[in-house]
Amino acid sequence: MITLLRTLIIAASMMALTVTHAAGWQPPGPIKLMIAFAAGGGADTQARLIAEDLEASTGWKFIPENVTGKGGVNLLNAMKGMPNDGTVIGIVVTESLAYNRLAAKGAGLELSDFTPLTTTAGFQMGVVATTESGLNSFDDVITAAKDGKDIRFGAMSPRLADVAYLLGKANDIEFNIVMLKGGKAVMNALNAGDVDIGWGAGIQTKAVLAGDMINLVSGLDKPLDASPDAPLIADLGVAHNAGGYFMFVAPGGMADDARNALAEHISSVAANPDSKAGGLISKAFGGASIIMGDDLDALLVSDSESSDELMKLSAE
Amino acid sequence: MQAWIDHLLLGVQAVFQVSEGFSLLGIELPITLLMVFGGFLVGIVVGSTPGLAGPMAMAISLPLLISIFGYHESALLPVFGFLIGIMKGATVGGAVPAILFNTPGTPDAYMTTLDGYPMAQRGQADRALRVAHLSSASGDTFSDIVLIVSAPFLAILVERYLDFPEKTALLILSMTFIAAVIGKSAGKGLVSVGLGLLAAFIGTGEDFMPRLTFGTEALAQGFSVASAVLGVLIVGEVFKSLQDLRTDGVKSTKTLTAKKKPADNRLSRSLIKRLAPYIARSALIGTAIGALPGVGSTLAATLGYTTAKAYSKKNANKKNTAAYTEFGQGAPEGIAATEAANSSVSGANLIPVLSLGIPGNAAAVFLILAADSIGGFNPGPSVFRFSEGSINPELVIAFGLFTIMMLANVLNWIIGGRVMRAMGVMVRIPKHYLLPIILLLTLTAIYIQETRLVAVWITIGFGFLGYFMRRIEMSPLPFVIAFILGGRLEETARQAFSSTGGDPWFLLSSNTSSVLMAAAFIIILVSVRWRR
Repeated sequence: MITLLRTLIIAASMMALTVTHAAGWQPPGPIKLMIAFAAGGGADTQARLIAEDLEASTGWKFIPENVTGKGGVNLLNAMKGMPNDGTVIGIVVTESLAYNRLAAKGAGLELSDFTPLTTTAGFQMGVVATTESGLNSFDDVITAAKDGKDIRFGAMSPRLADVAYLLGKANDIEFNIVMLKGGKAVMNALNAGDVDIGWGAGIQTKAVLAGDMINLVSGLDKPLDASPDAPLIADLGVAHNAGGYFMFVAPGGMADDARNALAEHISSVAANPDSKAGGLISKAFGGASIIMGDDLDALLVSDSESSDELMKLSAE
Repeated sequence: MQAWIDHLLLGVQAVFQVSEGFSLLGIELPITLLMVFGGFLVGIVVGSTPGLAGPMAMAISLPLLISIFGYHESALLPVFGFLIGIMKGATVGGAVPAILFNTPGTPDAYMTTLDGYPMAQRGQADRALRVAHLSSASGDTFSDIVLIVSAPFLAILVERYLDFPEKTALLILSMTFIAAVIGKSAGKGLVSVGLGLLAAFIGTGEDFMPRLTFGTEALAQGFSVASAVLGVLIVGEVFKSLQDLRTDGVKSTKTLTAKKKPADNRLSRSLIKRLAPYIARSALIGTAIGALPGVGSTLAATLGYTTAKAYSKKNANKKNTAAYTEFGQGAPEGIAATEAANSSVSGANLIPVLSLGIPGNAAAVFLILAADSIGGFNPGPSVFRFSEGSINPELVIAFGLFTIMMLANVLNWIIGGRVMRAMGVMVRIPKHYLLPIILLLTLTAIYIQETRLVAVWITIGFGFLGYFMRRIEMSPLPFVIAFILGGRLEETARQAFSSTGGDPWFLLSSNTSSVLMAAAFIIILVSVRWRR
């Protein structure tokens, strides 16, 4: 009973705090929160904690549901055509709306079928090896491959597999690219010696700081926080970076007041390191990274164009 | 070593953790402990009721538990606690109707009727139940200890020596083995596995377009594990039982007229001493059989009973003991041998689950299903890996799981016998009331978990599949296990293919995988010839 009272009091005070900048928009009912990630993982926990924090701060009610598979395309398919009054939102990655949407040709998904709300965190994407493997730099990888060793490269999405292929091609080597389910699986495969190198989207950071793993390459267009000396993928001859963001999305054509209110609320929780969700984001994903509104629209358009090109290049 | 102990302590602690806001009579209690207790009681009730079985109760309670505890890692131990409680309770409970009413509550208790019922007819029902409890609890505890000791080592071995091609071959071998040993015919077992794989491949795969869906929206997400498994295992069984009721008519259950009880039914020390070798031998047999995926407790019980019978004959000739009762005439040794064997299967059955992620029986299927739906715990070699100085939460959960099993054993020793002896009433519940309730509960549970009506239709569809499989005596268990492993099989096969640089003969690329594949073929050949 006391805990209930406490929650209510906290909720009431938080509501008073946040209502001021939310322009007064309220969802017409409980919000279905679709999650494109498997239950129990870091991304799933992030979504559920954001919902929990928002329930406490706004009094809105969330109904989380995992709609997994096909890199978020299953979620987008299910979401397309659902009510755009703010009662349905989902969490995917920017890649879902760019590369994966385009790769799912038969699904007929357009960017206009969706309203992007906000990103929450960016990926610290790097090519990772374990310290044990003896591969201390990307040059070591090239040398080993040229000496005739099969280099197995773990990737968790088709886009990352494409980028890995281009990375090999640009350096005159060929990787055996192994598809693994999720970042955790790549880490497990690296640790077990099942693959030699693999993509890490930030999950590797702890091991890198502990000295168990090494970021050989930064997959971003900027240096990685944990390994500022790792060469950028662009410097290794690949024009496409492998970065991306977790993002919230809603069905297309949502009214601006609803879109802004949802984006504001979600991003303020994500960016606040003292909230449960913000705490997780700063611990697991190296801090929040917020892009919303026109900037987010523009990012998705440019990501889609670059994905299109990436697909053509890797099909050659 | 220190790191292992740290994990162990954390695991034990997690089980005894008191969750805020849960109290009884003003005392805050650890929720996991309560769940083990509750599950154990439910298990005994279910096991004592003919027509109900442990896996059924596990299947129905799983969605309900998940809706109560949610999808957070903290839900894992309470849910596992309840499920393991049911598993253990049902194992002991199965002997009750076998002894009292000559109707085995579960197939593996059939051998118990052979000596248990004659004992009951002689007015020694209470003593028979005590023997059953003693043997069952001993077998169970022994098997759990073997699990706890061997699973981590096996997992680490697998991890170190098996690469993608070998893992693929191992999965194929497990499925082949299950197909060959469960049920009456290896051919039907293989068909069952094939159907399971077919169902698993619908709507899944690496491509962005869902396959095998005929363009329908309902199939695009694939079949959920809960619908397929509960449909084939539970709904199918209900349909079959309903038909049996219709053809055989509603039978009134005969009750044994109460005989005068002898004054003392407690087990004397000399009797326990006499039973000990039977219990020990059967516990070993049961554990060894349990460690192989798919070989069920029924075979363990049969083997335990027949070896005990042979041994006792030999012994009787040698010693010419006067106290010797012929097996099948009400020998406590017969009960002990059967119950110790079938109970020691359950712990060992989790060895392949925890070390490889491969379920060996229906109960293990539901534990994997629980881990899958809640998330945060992926049974398999990665559970037992950690780097010095860091804590692997999955290993903590694994030790929590072991703690739960030992707790359930303690419960079993303390109260199991008493509860079990009070369960004689359960057999009077008529099946024609029980079956509709099970059906309703199952469908409700599915709807709660899936929250879409199409899942209910899919479940009923799988129910018909399970019904027809039973009609033609095809075991549904290979189907279920293949369905669960299908995704993994495809994934590892693809990984093996790409990691070997696109070698189509990856299954024969190393000695280990070639041996595993050869073993799979030999198992099928042998079982086809042997059955003929």
